[in-house]
Amino acid sequence: MTVASGVGYTLIALGPGFSLFFLSIVSKPLLILTLLASTLVWLASLVALAIVWRGFLPLGSSDWICLPLLASSVALQEFLRVHFWRTFKKVESSLNGVAVRISKPPLRPSEKIEIAIALGFGHGLAHSIMFCLSLLTPAFGPGTFYLRSCPQMPFFLVISLISLGFLLIHTFSMVIFFKGYEDHNSGLRFFVPAMHAVASSLTLVNLVQNGCVIGTPLVMLCAALTLFVCGKSLWQKGD
Amino acid sequence: ALESVPDLERAMYRVIQGSPCVRLLSMQGESGCANPGRDKIVAPLQRLTKLEFKTKGAVAVLLPYSLFHSRNKFLSVCSRTLHDPSFAAQVAGALVEFADNANRSVNSNPDSKFPLAEFAPYSNKTYQWNPLGTDVLQKRYNFPVYLLSPESTRGLREIAAENEARNAKYPLQVAEFDVVMQTTKSGTHTSESCLKEGSCLPLGGYSILSSFSSITSKPTLLVLAAMDSISFFRDFTPGADSPLSGLISLLAAVDALSKADGIHNATKQVVFLVCNGEAWGYLGSRRFLFELEYGGGSAFGFNMSHIDQILEIGSVGQAVEKTFYGHVQDKHASASTKEIVASLKRSAESVNAQITTASSENPGIPPSSMMSFVQKSDSLTGVLLEEFDTSFKNKFYHSLFDNADNLNPESIVAASSIVARAIYQLAMGDSSAKLDSVAVNSSLVKDLISCLLTPDPGMNCPLVTGFITPAQPVSNHYVGVVTGAPSPTPSDDLLDDTTRFIWNFLADRTRRLDAGECSKDCKGQDQVCVGATGQGRGSCVVSTTRYVPAYSTRLRYKSGNWELLPVGSGDFMDSIDPVWTESFWKSLTLRVYQQERPSLNGMLLLAGCSVTVASAVSILATRALFRKRLKSA
Repeated sequence: MTVASGVGYTLIALGPGFSLFFLSIVSKPLLILTLLASTLVWLASLVALAIVWRGFLPLGSSDWICLPLLASSVALQEFLRVHFWRTFKKVESSLNGVAVRISKPPLRPSEKIEIAIALGFGHGLAHSIMFCLSLLTPAFGPGTFYLRSCPQMPFFLVISLISLGFLLIHTFSMVIFFKGYEDHNSGLRFFVPAMHAVASSLTLVNLVQNGCVIGTPLVMLCAALTLFVCGKSLWQKGD
Repeated sequence: ALESVPDLERAMYRVIQGSPCVRLLSMQGESGCANPGRDKIVAPLQRLTKLEFKTKGAVAVLLPYSLFHSRNKFLSVCSRTLHDPSFAAQVAGALVEFADNANRSVNSNPDSKFPLAEFAPYSNKTYQWNPLGTDVLQKRYNFPVYLLSPESTRGLREIAAENEARNAKYPLQVAEFDVVMQTTKSGTHTSESCLKEGSCLPLGGYSILSSFSSITSKPTLLVLAAMDSISFFRDFTPGADSPLSGLISLLAAVDALSKADGIHNATKQVVFLVCNGEAWGYLGSRRFLFELEYGGGSAFGFNMSHIDQILEIGSVGQAVEKTFYGHVQDKHASASTKEIVASLKRSAESVNAQITTASSENPGIPPSSMMSFVQKSDSLTGVLLEEFDTSFKNKFYHSLFDNADNLNPESIVAASSIVARAIYQLAMGDSSAKLDSVAVNSSLVKDLISCLLTPDPGMNCPLVTGFITPAQPVSNHYVGVVTGAPSPTPSDDLLDDTTRFIWNFLADRTRRLDAGECSKDCKGQDQVCVGATGQGRGSCVVSTTRYVPAYSTRLRYKSGNWELLPVGSGDFMDSIDPVWTESFWKSLTLRVYQQERPSLNGMLLLAGCSVTVASAVSILATRALFRKRLKSA
């Protein structure tokens, strides 16, 4: 729908990402590296899933195929997330070891949170790349597109909003998850995969006629909830 | 189901198949259609069933052919846009639905009432040879026009219905026309300026000349037919009755004569000339006469003084009860024309047909290649065979509907038999020659009709594929532009399918000797390779068949450019020649897509920026808040 709307959609999907990158990440080389590595790993996980599911193409016209697709994706990613925590602990201890040897202070809590955000941002970015960015390229042309099941919202708007939602969910989920391990709070550890599963399932509401009007705002609601839980868990540390 | 981003793009932007009307230029100005400027035209799609717009503002109109062109000046978009500027302002572009014979507008055609009147060798230029003509064909339209295919018609009707259901509210389906012409971009609006600028090419092609024996300086009977027509849409020019029926008669007559005794050693030399570009000011016949007079590199073997008699076959596909009319220019017919008429009458009798001399009330000969000959010299005259007497019988002259259904094969077979037998008598110089040996093959006539004038089998019919591999499945009879340098031996890629087919057919039927196989050229004298690109290998034959360039005698090709020559003092036809050219273009595309209300695009950009700014502000605020919080811990 012209370059203006193409840029608009991209900013809706990635604007917060740009802000986060330029305000928090770009000034610290460690975080840039962390972000890059995380994006690559999460992208690899999605590509691996795609390779496996490729074998089942064509998927057929039934919508029910989405359930195992989503379930396997969420399961694999959550399994991977635990390994992120373990790798983070190893990196933290070796970084702290180096710090001790050169008489510098160990990682501060705020720095650990920043690393967690970078790791989560990598996850959100991988999701955006895989599920949103290439789909937005036709939006820069003069035409628009509406799905038959969603005449209320342009297709590209739905994609951008959902991508924004998951960017926020993934970025801050990592913080919640790490906090859960640090503070031995199993509630937080359980919240993250549950939220991932719920938000993913809510995207299925879009399959229903006119469902996008309900499904998309609900995903945004999930994102808001994730932000709230993250903020609350960090705030409590101060007590 | 969409499975990839390219799938999505294809679903969003639908390219529509159709035949465009393009910009043509003459010495006087422009005609035809094009985008008015350098930009694409985008307008909402609206289907009209009568000439009333449902909204204000310019729209891309989808309409049935009968609303596009009909006899009623007020009820046809063509005429209305020419005479009513406020109506024309609302037509951003026109999409004409495919018109099959069932709904063809009755009793009218788009050409003028006296086509090519300025070339007539008599003073009455207002005589109505074509009374059903509405004279909208060679006018200038300032908007793009497309003729749709049957599938596109169905598709666009559905899309237009979507717009209607929405009551013309956004998001609307719009049609995007890219019919931007080079001549518009370079500001050259006549043939003279555009040829100088190089933004156009002259119309023209190749005629074909053939004879049963090698051509020498002997008294000659020249037999003519034309092979090109005009239409509103350059890629949809059938021209079945006018003039292809004449061409088919000539080809079938040559075929019949090839089996007659002694045709290769006839007393009088018979030269067949299939003229191209006639519809655009008799380009083929005039260029032939020019080359005949001035030599100019293509030695024909004879000159103008040897042309003793001329027989032209005009439109012969709709004769009523096999009655044909012989048109003669000079009212006091010379001995040679009388001889032609007598042979025609004898031949007609032998096949239970009838030849009548045309009415003396006619001002002269109807529009025909014969006009070029008559204008050239008083001694050049002959007989023109037509299906009509005082005015055209062909209602669909130069119209989309002049197709195979507009023909009666028996009429063509009759004309062909008359012509073949008359030629035989004249060639043998024997008025009592046995005519039964000259028999026209009526299934050949039917084959030629189905190859040249129907889409199925079209040019993939065995008759054609035996000689050439056609580049297009359906032959089109618009002469097109002269590609490359005109030459008596053009390469195959510069020739269209019809031209190549006619050359091969004539070379094959007039051959005097077979001389082995070939794939491109033959080495022997007077040998040509027939069927080189057809199925199977080509054969070398001894035959006098060659191409003759057909383009305006006012033009000369010199080192890659076309020069407009000044008008020669003697030549009347040069002075009135419009010198038709066709503009260059980068691409001709028509697509349809859905477009949002323009303000929405700005709002989305604003929304994106707001989200970005809001998130930046939140990040900064949150960071400040948490820093305070953590420090106070």
